[in-house]
Amino acid sequence: MRNISLIFKKAWKSAFVIATLSFLMVAGAQAQDVAEGRTLFKGKCASCHALDHDATGPALTPKMSLDETYLVAWIKNNVALRASGNAQAIEAAKFSASEMTAFPTLTDEQIKSIIAYAKEGEPKKAAEVGAAVVDEGTSSLSIAGVIAIIILSIVVLVVLGRAVKMLERLILQKQGIEIVEEDNVSLVSGVKGLFKNKKFVFFSVLCMVVVLGSFGWMGMWDTGVHTGYQPVQPIKFSHELHAGINQIDCQYCHSGAFKSKNSTIPSLNVCMNCHKNVQARTEDGQVSPEIQKIYNALGYDVDKQTYDKTKEKPVEWVRVHNLPDFAYFNHSQHVVVGEAAIRKEKGLKPEEPVCFACHGPVNTMEEVYQYSPLTMKWCINCHRDADISDKKNDAFYANVIAAHEKIKKGEKVTPAMLGGLECGKCHY
Amino acid sequence: MESNKKYWKGLEEYNSTPDFVENNKNEFAEPLPIEDVLSEAGLSTVTPRRDFLKALGFGLGAVTLAACQKAPVHKSIPYLVRPEEVVPGIPNFYTSTFNGNSVLVKTVVGRPIKIEANPNAGVFNNGTDAQAQASVLDLYDVSKLKSPLLKKEETTWTELDAFVKGELNKVQASGKKIRIVSSSLNSPSAKAVVADFTAKYPTTKNVQYDAVSYTGIIKANGNSFGKAVVPKYNFDKADLIVSFAADFLGTWISGEEFTSQYVSNRNYKSLEKGKMSRHFQFEAGMSLTGTNADTRITVKLSEEGPALITLYNELTGNNLPGGTLGNNTTAAKALKLVAKELLQNKGKALVVAGSNDVATQTLVNAINVAIGSYGTTIDLDNPNKRYEGNDQEFAELINEINRNEVGAIFFLNSNPVYDSVNGKAFAEALAKVPTKISFSDRVDETSDNCDAVAITPNYLESWGDANTYEGYYSIVQPTINPVFNSRQAEQSLLIWSDNAVQDYYQYVRNNWEKNILPTVGKTWNEVLQLGVVTATAKTAGAYTFGLSLGDVASAIVNGSKAFAKANGKDALELQVYESIPMRDGKHANNAFLQELPDPVSKVTWDNYIALAPKQVSNLGLKEFDILTVKGENGYSIELPILVQPGQAMGTASIALGYGRTKVGKAGDNVGKNAFPFVTVSNGTLKYATTVTVSATGGREELAQTQTHYSFEGRNIIRETTLKDYLKDPAAGSGNHHKHKVYDLWTTDKHEMVGNNWVMAIDLNACTGCGSCIVACNVENNIPVVGKDEVRKRREMHWLRIDRYYSYNQEPGAHAEAGHGGHEASSINAVTKEKEIAHLEENQMNNVSVVHQPMMCQHCDHAPCETVCPVLATVHSSDGLNHMAYNRCVGTRYCANNCPYKVRRFNWFNYWNDSRFDNYLNNEFTQLVLNPDVTTRSRGVMEKCSMCIQRIQAGKLTAKLEKRPLKDGDIKMACQQACSANAIIFGDKNDPNSEVSKALRSERTYYVLEEINVEPGIGYMTKIRNIDSETKEVHA
Repeated sequence: MRNISLIFKKAWKSAFVIATLSFLMVAGAQAQDVAEGRTLFKGKCASCHALDHDATGPALTPKMSLDETYLVAWIKNNVALRASGNAQAIEAAKFSASEMTAFPTLTDEQIKSIIAYAKEGEPKKAAEVGAAVVDEGTSSLSIAGVIAIIILSIVVLVVLGRAVKMLERLILQKQGIEIVEEDNVSLVSGVKGLFKNKKFVFFSVLCMVVVLGSFGWMGMWDTGVHTGYQPVQPIKFSHELHAGINQIDCQYCHSGAFKSKNSTIPSLNVCMNCHKNVQARTEDGQVSPEIQKIYNALGYDVDKQTYDKTKEKPVEWVRVHNLPDFAYFNHSQHVVVGEAAIRKEKGLKPEEPVCFACHGPVNTMEEVYQYSPLTMKWCINCHRDADISDKKNDAFYANVIAAHEKIKKGEKVTPAMLGGLECGKCHY
Repeated sequence: MESNKKYWKGLEEYNSTPDFVENNKNEFAEPLPIEDVLSEAGLSTVTPRRDFLKALGFGLGAVTLAACQKAPVHKSIPYLVRPEEVVPGIPNFYTSTFNGNSVLVKTVVGRPIKIEANPNAGVFNNGTDAQAQASVLDLYDVSKLKSPLLKKEETTWTELDAFVKGELNKVQASGKKIRIVSSSLNSPSAKAVVADFTAKYPTTKNVQYDAVSYTGIIKANGNSFGKAVVPKYNFDKADLIVSFAADFLGTWISGEEFTSQYVSNRNYKSLEKGKMSRHFQFEAGMSLTGTNADTRITVKLSEEGPALITLYNELTGNNLPGGTLGNNTTAAKALKLVAKELLQNKGKALVVAGSNDVATQTLVNAINVAIGSYGTTIDLDNPNKRYEGNDQEFAELINEINRNEVGAIFFLNSNPVYDSVNGKAFAEALAKVPTKISFSDRVDETSDNCDAVAITPNYLESWGDANTYEGYYSIVQPTINPVFNSRQAEQSLLIWSDNAVQDYYQYVRNNWEKNILPTVGKTWNEVLQLGVVTATAKTAGAYTFGLSLGDVASAIVNGSKAFAKANGKDALELQVYESIPMRDGKHANNAFLQELPDPVSKVTWDNYIALAPKQVSNLGLKEFDILTVKGENGYSIELPILVQPGQAMGTASIALGYGRTKVGKAGDNVGKNAFPFVTVSNGTLKYATTVTVSATGGREELAQTQTHYSFEGRNIIRETTLKDYLKDPAAGSGNHHKHKVYDLWTTDKHEMVGNNWVMAIDLNACTGCGSCIVACNVENNIPVVGKDEVRKRREMHWLRIDRYYSYNQEPGAHAEAGHGGHEASSINAVTKEKEIAHLEENQMNNVSVVHQPMMCQHCDHAPCETVCPVLATVHSSDGLNHMAYNRCVGTRYCANNCPYKVRRFNWFNYWNDSRFDNYLNNEFTQLVLNPDVTTRSRGVMEKCSMCIQRIQAGKLTAKLEKRPLKDGDIKMACQQACSANAIIFGDKNDPNSEVSKALRSERTYYVLEEINVEPGIGYMTKIRNIDSETKEVHA
């Protein structure tokens, strides 16, 4: 049943996407402003301000009723504004002891778009569009399931129909009513005749064998490969929001990646660096239920701003990328030592972090899924192809590469040449 | 001259018993069931088509279902608040102290997993012993208590504190005595705590006793020089070492330290300078030290005293009575030679004796004064503080208890019901003490008789300190929070005595800041980093000896007369000794130690009665027959016989530390307790007595590893004498007569352009102690398999130490033939099973021993690689032989084809199988596993990987720092543990690396180099400092 409802949901969502797109085309410029404002807000303001409740700074939506020129001046450089003796500004500064950062680089248009966003509130449609797009990735397995169910239901319907017909006929026979055979006798015998045609039967069986065989073969290769694995996490943490919109560096949270074999899932004290302030309160003033989960795990009381160690309860994340235990993988080896080669091999843009090479566009993942197959073939292909000639000037590699070049003049230096394909380099 | 000595691994090989010959033909203990298959229904059975299809269908269905699994759900649980210094995946190292030796503790995400030597540790800097290596497993012991006990019921600390304080007040009111019974307390802070406790309860006294006592030395030094201490011995300053039954490389005082001192005069660096010390050992049982001696002379226990008197008389020209050695002419000749050489080496010689008898040790002092040892090889001014136990105080304690004078008794790191001189009597006496509290981590033999057990944490969870030498302090710091609800004994004492400082950490720190730090000029944080601090050592003074030796000599003579009862073939002199793996039995529940083969007998999981071969045949018995051993005091146990070449006739040896009844899953009822054989004589404990033996008719096969793998008598060990070495450094190495080499792989050479990891092992440095084996086990997650599996030759140790015996005498005419030929033929004159001539059995007393560490040789032309059908074992470009466990399908062809027999097969899933409950089969103990090494599954081969995880980690560190690898950046686990620095690892492509230099030594040879598998591990010849004069001794 769930699958059928999924189909409806998909159809509905596609319709919705089309509708939204046409609406967006009409809505045009103004929506654009709000969207830009949202991005700017998340990047510049959200660490201190919320729209609907006071944080380090005051709730913003109520303030948006103020004069726009004043607001622009305040946001651009509140210190200057206060220095100029603006009474309203001096009054506003009394909200908190901490001073608001000046943003002289923002243009008036940008500030206005922030104001537009703050007035408008969260543009819900954008999120819906995002969700619909993510859903496009529903796995082929469920589609196959749907098809199977449809076929099964057709078969059941046909069987049931025949049974009903048979029963009707029996009733009629009992009542002594003569049944007039319908014309479809010829059709049935035609089909029967077709089954007696040996060439036809042979051809159909062959087709079936080829189709099933190739599906089976392909399926076997994918056994145990979990590309696209996207488990439900205990906290709906959005990489899209944090790494994408807010542009937080991967290392800020995954600090181990550059020095350890583990990239390390951040401990909650890292979350609290921002989320002590960023509470994303809902309309009724409640802390966002997802952020509340952080507080619960730490035993943090948001009103009293105190921690209760006795209420601590670790967060049990579900691992997305599961390498088998017998394969040793070291993050620092790849993101520090092999960074240049990996960037080149995977064609990353300079502004993209090297992590994207294997983890994919994490900045667009609402929920993280396994982007790469993580099979040994996938590892090895890269070890065969990657060009590590840049290491010629590296003191560690210099001698080895020089020696190799003597033997294999002119060939590209790859990890494989330095032993990167040997079993014991990863399996020990 | 090439050596044409005959070597043999064990008596089975020597005697070519039918079992041995049969077993030798087979690679694995059980025969392959080929015959069964062929003879039974086997090939003739008919498989009907329908059965075949059914099986096929089921198989397909099962595989499909198994493949249908969803993605496995693994949880990742990060810290809530990550400690600043912890990065998951990067180990942290903390300094600590184990048994007085400073160590580094490796922790990963908060759990200690490995002990390493602390490079700052000065005198102990070279390695760690097997106990230290194995000690991490004690932390994860499931047999420990989880909360304190009061009247055998679990309780809280509040209740326990109330109980103890109430009892202490009652005792104080009654005026009765309080006794704290401990083993030697060498922690300054713990001593201060006891002093504070005594201040609060003035009737308190700390009674120190050691299961293996050194009271004899302490009292003898008190009598001779007015300094009642164990001196500091400097074996590194001795060119001539004479030991009377002191196992100073193993268990005597501080074996690890003595090993590194001893080896510094015998290793390849010293030999390159042409210098090597000379070592004579006089002893009854074959000790680890005896196996390393240049000349070992068997003397009976009753002859030890007279031998010392003889030596004293020879040295000084005095004529003390009692210096008669009966018919032991070998010893008499040897003593003459020793005396001559001692006089030649005045000031550069050292005489030590293992006896705990005051008179004997006094005589040893007199000898050492005569040869000028004080101030050079013996230092009385910076004494060793490891052992301060006093046998008399402990004896007095029992009297006090029996007089009902003791109101409360505390047991601190001591277990007298098990290991004191008469444990049973002590347990009975204990009933008379109203309040008995034990500081223990489990209900051991003593705690079982106590009212309360105040459970103590492991040393890895504790604060503390140690003062092993005068002016030498080390710190104990916790590396993990206490896992169970335990509390340090010192903290309990602080709380019970209402001390102003009740936190032991604060107490230790205060004590250091007040008393120790000012003397060494360091801050507390520096101490935590360094682990050890040293105050300037005092100058070692020379001492004169003024005692009259008349009484001493008569005491010694009386002592040896006590053995007179041992005069028949059933009445023997018995020596009880500490074995290398088990020591005094405190760590008997440690499966790593139980499975560590004894360096000499190669027996695991048991003790036994060691007898000379002739003794056994005189008794009309065979090896493994069970004997009833009955002591003078009526105590009797049943133990299987181990035939020990080199054991003195008329003597027997039994190891202490076994037969514990309340220690835990692994150690309960392993072997028999030999402590009740200990006697008291002249106020000190005596580890020798007389026993009568009788056969029970039973038989029990000991779990020995020694005969498991055979070299078919090939020329594995190469040995020479110092004299020959000085003439020709390549003497005995076979390097002058290389075989012509035929190469099958001329076109397919391995290009090792980067690194070429190799190892050099100095056979002259290796003492065979076995700490490398335990280090390897811990580092590489090697499972413990247990007694039955060892009997089936299924032990998993990647690194073993082969022990070879050889005769001290050339075996008659047979040897002459070898001599007659030219040198090349003498290489071929290697031991072949049937070739070993039967010697007179008394010649079996005069065997010498070579220890050879043996692990995967990482052959460049590895025979295992060519036979693997699935390419699970392949060669790498840096000279290693890789083993991909997940590729292995378990054909075992590789093990069959390995000439070194170093591959091990996993017969079980050792960590998930109820048959191995005494080791890893629980989640708690599994915390000891090294996360960087795969745990192997059932059905796959494994072998030494040359600590590839360490190589990769070392390389990565260099890569991240963009610098070339330095020699010494990477150390193998075995190398790290080795106190003797016998194992050298490094890059052969770097001509300046230590290993390259060592391999260029002319002493270096490769085991089985004639088969041209190009092994990566070179061995350096064993050299013995013997000459015609020492050979004459045995003639």
